[in-house]
Amino acid sequence: MNRIVLALAAFCALASCAPKSDQTQIYLQRFWGECGAVYGHNTDIAKAEGECGIITTMINRFNAENPDIHVESNVVAWPGYAQLSAQIAARDPPDLVTMHQGVLTDYAARGLVEPMEPILREAGISPHGFTDAARRGVTKDGRIYAMPWDTIGGLFHINTALFAKAGLMRDGRPVLPTSPQELLAQARQFKRATGLPYLIQSQVNDPATHVRNLYTFLLAQDAVLFPDATHIRIDTPQARQIVEMFKQLNDQHLSTLNQDTPAAIGSFLNGQGGIYPTGTWMIGSFDQEANTPGRPLYKSYAVYPYPRLWGHPAAFVDGHSWVMPTHQRSAVQRRAIARFLKFLAHHNFDWARTGHIPAFKAVLADPKFSALPHRSDIASLGSIGRTLPGVVRRQGAIEGIVGEELQAAVTGQKPVADALADAQDRSNDLLAQVD
Amino acid sequence: MAASERRARFTLLQLAAVVIGAAIMVAPLAWTLLLSLKSNAALLGDSGAALSPPYTLENYRAILGGSMVFRWLLNSLIVSLGTTAGVLILCSLAGYGFARLEFPLRRTLFVLVLVGLAIPEQAVILPRHQLFAELGLHNSYPGLILPGLISSFGVFFMTQYFRAIPHELDEAAMLDGASRLTIFWRVLMPLTWPAQATLGVFTFLASWNDYWWPLISATRSNMFTLTVGLASSQMNYAQTSGLGYLMAQAVFASVPIFIVYILFQKQIVRAMAGAALR
Repeated sequence: MNRIVLALAAFCALASCAPKSDQTQIYLQRFWGECGAVYGHNTDIAKAEGECGIITTMINRFNAENPDIHVESNVVAWPGYAQLSAQIAARDPPDLVTMHQGVLTDYAARGLVEPMEPILREAGISPHGFTDAARRGVTKDGRIYAMPWDTIGGLFHINTALFAKAGLMRDGRPVLPTSPQELLAQARQFKRATGLPYLIQSQVNDPATHVRNLYTFLLAQDAVLFPDATHIRIDTPQARQIVEMFKQLNDQHLSTLNQDTPAAIGSFLNGQGGIYPTGTWMIGSFDQEANTPGRPLYKSYAVYPYPRLWGHPAAFVDGHSWVMPTHQRSAVQRRAIARFLKFLAHHNFDWARTGHIPAFKAVLADPKFSALPHRSDIASLGSIGRTLPGVVRRQGAIEGIVGEELQAAVTGQKPVADALADAQDRSNDLLAQVD
Repeated sequence: MAASERRARFTLLQLAAVVIGAAIMVAPLAWTLLLSLKSNAALLGDSGAALSPPYTLENYRAILGGSMVFRWLLNSLIVSLGTTAGVLILCSLAGYGFARLEFPLRRTLFVLVLVGLAIPEQAVILPRHQLFAELGLHNSYPGLILPGLISSFGVFFMTQYFRAIPHELDEAAMLDGASRLTIFWRVLMPLTWPAQATLGVFTFLASWNDYWWPLISATRSNMFTLTVGLASSQMNYAQTSGLGYLMAQAVFASVPIFIVYILFQKQIVRAMAGAALR
C-alpha cells in the first residue's frame, strides 16, 4: 500500500509542475531548434553563433538583466503552426510566437493574433523604423500585427574561383547577367570552361525554390500576382518566359538535376557548380567554409541578390516576426512583453549575424552591419524585397501547389503553359474555399 | 545430387538471404550511429564523411551536458508505461467481461467496440482536443496517457483469448467457493500471460512512437515526448546545424526501446507471427 501511495505522490509531483514565482512570466514559443546543451547558460550574445545559439543567448541575457521578468522559452518543431493552432484552440496560446510574415495573414484575418501598435508604442518602437520590406510584411489590412524580426529571401550564392576559371570575374567581382539571354550565354560559357553546371538547384521536394524564382522575376516586371485576395494570376506570357528559361537550363544540363536541399548544399560546398540560388539563411555556413583553408570555397565565396534579368531589381521575400496571439493578459504582463520586445529590437543587429536582413532601418544603415561579411552586397534586399499582398491567405499552401506545377514544367514532365494554367486554377480553387 | 547436399545448399541460400535482409535493416541504424559520431562541420559538406574517421563523442558529451533529452526520455517512459499498464488492466477486464459474463446488450456492446477498430484517430482528434482543453488536460501526463487507453483492438484481442480458455476452470473454482474477481485474478489472469505480453509490447511501442497526439497536446517543451522533442531539436530550415547532435539524440533515445526489444524478443516475434492466440 505504501508503495502505491508513494508512486501516486511521485506521479502527482510530476504531473503538476508550474514553479511558483513573483516574476512576471512571458511564455515565448519559437522554432530555430533546441541548443540548450551548448548555449543553455550563455549570456554573451557576441559569442553566440547561428539562429538557435543567438536567440537562446538573447533570452538568457534578458532574463539575467531583468530579474522581475522570466521569459520561458518553448521550442517547437519548425514551423510550429500545428502546435500554435492547437494551443489557440485550447485557449492556451503563448504570449509571443515566431511567425513567418507570409503566414501572418491567416491568423490576422481570423482575429487570432493581436494588432501590435499599442504594445510597440509602449516599447518605444516606431513602425517608421522598420525597413520597407519588413513593414510591408507585418502590415495586414492597414494594421501592424507583428514586430518584424528580419527579412529572408533568395540570393545568388557564388563560387568565385569557378567564376574566375570561366572568365566571369571583373575587378574582383562576379559578372552577373542582365538578361535571360545573357544568363544562358554565361551558363554555357561556364560549362565549357569548368565542365560544371552554372546553377546548383534544389529541385526535389523543395517547391519554394521554383516559386522564389518565379515570384522574384514577376515582381521585377511589376506583374500583379494577386489582382484580389482570392485570385492568383500566373498564367501569363511573362511567367511563361521565366519558366522557359529555367527549363532551358535543365534541358541543356546547365543546372544540377534531381537534387534536394541537402544535396544541393553539399554540391555548392564541394565546388560542384557556380551559383546556388538559395536563401539568406545559408550565408553563415557558406562564409564559414570560405574561411576554412583547404575547403573548395576557401576565399572563393560571394553573395548577391538575384540579378536583374527583367524589369527592375526586385526580390520576393518573407520574414520572421514576433506576434502576440489574442489572449487575456494583465497590464503587468503587457508591460513585460513590451520590455522584452524593446530588448529584442535593440539586439536586432546581433540577429543579423545569422545572415538574415535586419528588420530595422537603423541597423541596416549601421556601419557595424555593413562591416559584417557580404552584408553590404545584400543590404538592398531590405528595400527591394516584396512580400505577397497582405490580404492573400494560405500563402504556404499556394506555394506548395505552384511549386509542384513548376517542378513538373522545368523537368519536362508537363508543358510549361499547361503547368502554369494548372497552378493558377488549382490555387484559385483553394482560395475560393477560404472562408 | 544427394538430398542432404540439396538441403545444405538451400540452407546456405536461405542464410545468404537472411544476411542480406538483416544488412538492409541494420544499415539505417548503423548510418545513424556513424553520423552521431561526427562533427557538424564534417557532415555539412558530405554526409559520406561518416564512413571514415576521425570520430568524436562531442555530440554525446553535449547531450549529457544539459540537453532536454533526459526530460523527454522520462516523459516518454511515463507515458508509454502508463498507457501500457492502463491498456492491460482495462482490456483484460473488458475481455473477461465479454468472454465470460452474461449481461444485457453484451453482443451489441461488443460490436460497438469492434466498430472502434474502423475509426481512425484523425477522425476524432479535433473533438478530443477540445474535450481535453475543456478539462484542462493538455500538457499533462493524464492528457497524454488517457487517449491511448482506448483500445478496441486490445479488448477484442483479450476477449478472444479469454474465450479460448476452457470454462471448466471457472466452474471448478466456483465449486471451491471462489468469487468472480478471484477467478479472474487468480485463475484466468495467469493463463493470459502470453496475450498480456503481446498486447503490452504492441501498446508500448505504439505509445513510444506516437507523434501526432503529443505534438498538439504536449505543446510545452517540458512535457514533450521524445518524438516531438527530437523534431524540435532540428536547428534550422536548411538542416545545416547540429546534424550529428540530432543523430546522437536519436541514438540515445532509441536505447530504451532497444532494451524492450531485447527483453521481449520472444513475445514480439510471437506477436508478429500471430501466434499468441494459439
